[in-house]
Amino acid sequence: MESNEGFSSGSRLGGSDGKGADVMSERPNIEVVKALFKAGHYSEAHHTVLEQARYVRDYPAFASLCRWRQRLAGKAPGLASTKTVKVALLGGAGTEMLQAPLELALEAVGFGCEMYRSAYNTFASEMLDASSATVAFRPEVAVVVTTPANLPRWPEPGDSRDDVQQVVEEVCEYWLALCAQLHQHTQCEIILNNFHPLPTRPLGNLGTKLPWEANNFLRRLNLTLGDRAPAYVHINDVEGLAAHYGVTQWFDPRYWFHARQPVSFQCLVPYVVNTARIVGALFGSTAKCLVLDLDNTLWGGVVGDDGLEGIAIGEGDAVGEAFKVFQEYVLRLKQRGVLLAVCSKNEEANALAPFLKHPEMILKREDFVSFKANWKPKPDNLREIASELNIGINALVFVDDNPAEREHVRQRLPEVKVVELSNDPADYPRLLDEAGWFESTALSAEDHQRTQQYKENTQREKLRESATDYASYLASLAQKAVIRPFEDLHLDRITQLINKSNQFNLTTLRLSRSQCEDLMHDSEVLTAYVRATDRFGDNGLISVFFARHERDELHIEEWLMSCRVLKRGVENLLCNYVVEKARARGVTSLYGVYRPTPKNGLVREHYKALGFKWVGTDQDGATRWCLDVESYKPFDVSIELVEDY
Amino acid sequence: MDTNNIWERLTKVFRETFDDDQLIVGPETTADDIEDWDSLMHIQLLVAIEQAFGIHFNTGEVVSLANVGEMAALIENKSS
Repeated sequence: MESNEGFSSGSRLGGSDGKGADVMSERPNIEVVKALFKAGHYSEAHHTVLEQARYVRDYPAFASLCRWRQRLAGKAPGLASTKTVKVALLGGAGTEMLQAPLELALEAVGFGCEMYRSAYNTFASEMLDASSATVAFRPEVAVVVTTPANLPRWPEPGDSRDDVQQVVEEVCEYWLALCAQLHQHTQCEIILNNFHPLPTRPLGNLGTKLPWEANNFLRRLNLTLGDRAPAYVHINDVEGLAAHYGVTQWFDPRYWFHARQPVSFQCLVPYVVNTARIVGALFGSTAKCLVLDLDNTLWGGVVGDDGLEGIAIGEGDAVGEAFKVFQEYVLRLKQRGVLLAVCSKNEEANALAPFLKHPEMILKREDFVSFKANWKPKPDNLREIASELNIGINALVFVDDNPAEREHVRQRLPEVKVVELSNDPADYPRLLDEAGWFESTALSAEDHQRTQQYKENTQREKLRESATDYASYLASLAQKAVIRPFEDLHLDRITQLINKSNQFNLTTLRLSRSQCEDLMHDSEVLTAYVRATDRFGDNGLISVFFARHERDELHIEEWLMSCRVLKRGVENLLCNYVVEKARARGVTSLYGVYRPTPKNGLVREHYKALGFKWVGTDQDGATRWCLDVESYKPFDVSIELVEDY
Repeated sequence: MDTNNIWERLTKVFRETFDDDQLIVGPETTADDIEDWDSLMHIQLLVAIEQAFGIHFNTGEVVSLANVGEMAALIENKSS
């Protein structure tokens, strides 16, 4: 597979191998799994199951993957999943049929899981009762599966809009009070679905004018639920999914009557996948960068062959319009913080021409933080993109119309999230959207500025190349930083960093927002975040630290930093700050621990570089370090510490 | 669709659902004859049959299918 022969620069619109349009109904290649299993290649078989679970949405096929996963359990060591999550599955509806598919969907996004499933329709008591089996299980995440049948109240016919709003508030309060209780007992995050519309409309179109009408009420309820949900409640948008697939597809009354199935089998897989996405986002599996092919992916045709005038993009041509809409969708992803990159087999000048000269292009060259148009194998380019941006390979989502390129990337870089496209550009926005790799549970100010921040980094690189030595480069950056204890305002961003930083992260401890909030209020814990800026722009909140005070010792539990400010002195500045705070608390020794992971080799020597002494190595390879606070001499740092900037 | 064709495709669905290439089903086969055929698998089987034949079992039929012969007869009836 090293040779790139056989991968033409732009695949033909219309596809060539039929592996596209009907991918949703395609039975997964179970034969491959079977053959690998028989040959004793259990890990490969397991990997194939998970890879297919990423895009198979057909229930019988997915169920078959579930059975193979179970058969392989114990035989294959599992992927190097970042975490095993404890999930409680609580039902106001039947959940038995959801369990195995949800477990598989979670594993497909990189999480092992230990699941507790409560009995049918016991969700309320399980959440309220501090001695319930759910509370005893200590879940990290609770998935509460309910349907309109679980609603405690409905409006009365003829109720005014105010009456109906009153019912809406009461129902919301009932629901969120259950969540509050469970959260108080366990500190877990809660995934609560909103409600799909009912498939019947006894009042017909008139219902749209009558607030008390059932679907009218459900719409209001869903809106208020989203408005009122606290940070630890994550809404599983069943209303949106039911609209996407159609209510009559979403809800199958036959299986509701038989087994209280909350969702039809046809839509069961999208439902569990959507749920798994939220869990993934909570624990940091959100992808960061969308890598796009060009020919027949962002525009129709092959620019190198067809020329600038020959490509299909923009109004006046149906296919061109489809590509334009896809570009608009990609632009919206960028606006919400997704980085964009190009990876195309092309002459660079040809690849750039549409961005620079074609008036109908929605995406511009400056929307991309990396632009690889060359003839190298795509996996090589993808690796370079990840390394340039200082992000993991698994943070890349790859979109390419050419099935051969997709397969090449899947084989060479299994961590990359490869989106299955059809051979029709009109499907692209939906398929990328349904893949759901950019699910996140909160947006921070940094998300909106991310592309800008990466671009500023490029300018910094250029300055560094021109500076005669590193110290003068740092001085020329005119850096400023703010260091403060955790604050409400920044808690979303702090949680986000804690859950997604992998490289500059000493302990890779993952915490929920409410755990961060608890730390913020704990007087025995010294917390700190760092925001930094320089002459090229604001880097935003880029470092998080906390340590627990015990007698005259301070034990560092978390120290992480965004790689965009590597080697700029931020860690030295933070060390100075921490030692000063430690002295003020009467601390004499500062302890740190480095817990190695496959990704954090970068900070193996972090404590040593800061002058800590090695005091031991644990069985699991963790190294322990100690700093004598009294003899510490502050580092010279070319960052000005300010109150605000 | 003729009866032979139905049996051929039904056997394929059974083999895929129970992941057993050797599985042979006949008119007399019941859930007791196939080890993994429990209530969960029964539903998976029905969903797979509906999909494979493009048919729709009604609410009463979902639980009442006692043996594979009845299934085949129903499929023949619905797909004719």
